[in-house]
Amino acid sequence: MLNIVFYFQVHQPYRLRHYNVLDIGQGTPIFDDKLNSDVMKKVAQKCYLPTNKLLLELILKHEGRFKIAFSITGTAIEQFKLYSPETLDSFKALVDTGCVELLGETYYHSLAFLYDSNEFLDQVSMHRDLMQREFSYYTETFRNTELIYQDRLSDLIFEVEGFKTILTEGVDRILQWRSPLYAYKNYSKRINLLLKYYQLADDIAFRFSNRDWPEYPLTVDKFVNWIDKLTLNEKKGHNQFLNLFMDYETFGEHQWAESGIFEFMRHFPAEVLKHDHLGFANPCQTSALANYQQESISFPEAVSWADEQRDLSAWLENDMQRNAIETLYQLFDRIKAKGDEDLLKLARMLSTSDHFYYMASKYFQDGDVHKYFSPYDSPDQAYIYYINALAELEERLLR
Amino acid sequence: MKILMFTWEFPPLISGGLGMACYGMVKALLSFGIQIDLVLPTREMVYFPLRQVRDADSLPAVFFDQKKQSIFESKVFANMRERLEYIGISERPESYFQVADLKRFTISTRKEYWLSQVRTTEEQELWQDLTNNLIGEEDLIKKVQEFTLRAERIAKLLDYDLIHAHDWLCYPAGMITRKISKKPLLVHIHATEFDRAGGPGDERVHKIEHAGMTYADLVIAVSKYTAQMIMSRYRIDTAKIRIVHNAFSISENAVMSQERIFKGPVILFLGRITLQKGPDYFLEMAQKVLAVHPDARFIMAGTGDMSRKLLRRSASLKLRNRFLFTGFLNRKQVERILRAADIYVLPSVSEPFGISPLEAMAYGITAIISKQSGVAEVVNHAFKIDFWDVDLWVETINHLIENPDKRRKMGLEGMREVNRIQWKQAAEEIRQLYSATLAAHRRQQTN
Repeated sequence: MLNIVFYFQVHQPYRLRHYNVLDIGQGTPIFDDKLNSDVMKKVAQKCYLPTNKLLLELILKHEGRFKIAFSITGTAIEQFKLYSPETLDSFKALVDTGCVELLGETYYHSLAFLYDSNEFLDQVSMHRDLMQREFSYYTETFRNTELIYQDRLSDLIFEVEGFKTILTEGVDRILQWRSPLYAYKNYSKRINLLLKYYQLADDIAFRFSNRDWPEYPLTVDKFVNWIDKLTLNEKKGHNQFLNLFMDYETFGEHQWAESGIFEFMRHFPAEVLKHDHLGFANPCQTSALANYQQESISFPEAVSWADEQRDLSAWLENDMQRNAIETLYQLFDRIKAKGDEDLLKLARMLSTSDHFYYMASKYFQDGDVHKYFSPYDSPDQAYIYYINALAELEERLLR
Repeated sequence: MKILMFTWEFPPLISGGLGMACYGMVKALLSFGIQIDLVLPTREMVYFPLRQVRDADSLPAVFFDQKKQSIFESKVFANMRERLEYIGISERPESYFQVADLKRFTISTRKEYWLSQVRTTEEQELWQDLTNNLIGEEDLIKKVQEFTLRAERIAKLLDYDLIHAHDWLCYPAGMITRKISKKPLLVHIHATEFDRAGGPGDERVHKIEHAGMTYADLVIAVSKYTAQMIMSRYRIDTAKIRIVHNAFSISENAVMSQERIFKGPVILFLGRITLQKGPDYFLEMAQKVLAVHPDARFIMAGTGDMSRKLLRRSASLKLRNRFLFTGFLNRKQVERILRAADIYVLPSVSEPFGISPLEAMAYGITAIISKQSGVAEVVNHAFKIDFWDVDLWVETINHLIENPDKRRKMGLEGMREVNRIQWKQAAEEIRQLYSATLAAHRRQQTN
């Protein structure tokens, strides 16, 4: 049996205002409420609301056989409440079906794991509390920001009670001869690992509307046929997992409605379920479904799902990014020591990984993606506003 | 006395010291009853007849074209800004950018005309130099060409006793006007290409600068430093050179009381971020000072072709949130940043004058200025250091941070000193030069 494991990332950052040196100490807001509200409303209309509606229909129609998972960040939930409460309600309706798993992550979609383990664990537990509060849901599966993973992460997550599975990217240089279709164990054999099957996931997330792609247009028949073929090599009856992880904004935002992405999704589950040996599973079920000795796999270096390199270079490649993030984490301890909750909240809002993504100066193909997602004219601008905001934070700290 | 004055900058059309200097100078000259017809690189063909002191702020304009003038007169503008926009003045001229890597193109169509009626071979060479060098495809050169052609019309249209042209962008205009009107030409050197480029720079600009100074009846340099440059690099006849230092008059409505942004000491760089201004030395100082005084804040205010490089380098030096960039600041914002600063530094590699430190000192800020500057000749209550002696800059900044009382005392003395360096006095020197030039010119004509 091959189980398709859908996981969709739902995230919106708090974007900064064009924050100048002369704004420091003036009490001017750091974040661009207008822009954040506009983006949230736009994405809700184009993606969240129509896709949630579609998925709810599909779940009800297939009576428990179609399953999906979401990871929803704290900054997204907060902004739903501020700018699009109906979106939050529609997610609640989905979770209420029982076919939707919610994943755990850092509340602020941060890179804290790489810089401050205590802050990381704080944000993980804040997020779990949030899921309890909003959805009465207890998270058992963890995904770190941008699927960033290395062995040390599994050690940290193992120490947090209740997490049994971690999702990450099926990076070729780690997998080598191994297939991402099996459930693995982490290096210490204590946590279940699911690896994204990036070729097929990215066919939907990145290539779906690309007319230069030889396989364009991607039809349901074609895609299910490819999936069907994946099962040919498995002769011992082992359960396999096709992990299709992607940004939720793929639906209607990155791939516009006109591309046919909604129609694709509307017909996909029924086509899959026509095959007896194909189905859907939630990440939390995979450990029990793995009817074989799970091989352990080690990630000595950090990987992620971003860009061609699938490493940390989207956020931490250039000097601006590194100076910005190091400055932020040096402030954290001092802010905590002072016990100023408002200031801590601000620092955490600034810990969201998107801020560092906007500062990426990598050229080639990936630069386009960065540019698409950035509210600023250039990486330099993003850096200047961010550093100015950190200067403001430090002045408040000294007050 | 009536002056026809060409300049590339005048408030609100301003990017640096040239605009500030012209404004202060013109205002003071007007107060002596001197009349000035001002010509700027505006989009529309206009000149500004300035008759009273307040005209320097209100900028009354006259179109060359009668029809356009009557349309202009019938228009009602909500404010000054709207009126200036109609004429085509922006707040950010692209004046002193480096004119590098230029393609030469042969000959402007006006070359024959410009070369006609030249008598001596020297004169011929001069015009050859001008016409052969005022060529290029880039916007700035094209603007200078157009400005020069415009001057040809102005020369015949207006009535004036003397021509006063500021910096190389306006020299061709000054030259053509002198040629047509046979009125004396005074050229004013605020900066040479050597200063701007921080090295040899563009040869075409040198040639135009040389032609302008040679053709002029009198050359005014803004400092001894610049006069020496003109003599040694351009070989201009010393008898023709006069030195008039710039000055600084604070605007009446400026608010100057300190208003801190940062708790820690603030060290300010204010100017174009170009090689000439030594921004890389500023960064080096910051790195060394911050190692000792991490609570200090270094602010780089302005923009320029080195901004990006400096930004990247400041990040690579891991100066955290202690080295900040403001980007372009308008006048109001400049005043606010000055009110927040404790120490002003001008590490210019070559600064013909440097008005900005005078402004900083007027705010009571302790100034440290490059020895390679004209302003160093006129102030005593400021530290003067060779631009390259980074360790001494660092030592001085550290000393001032560690001794705030001394810093404030020095700032106060500097403020008193700068308040005495008024444009009235500098303008008086210029007025005398006008008179002497006119007298000499009349003698020549009667002979």
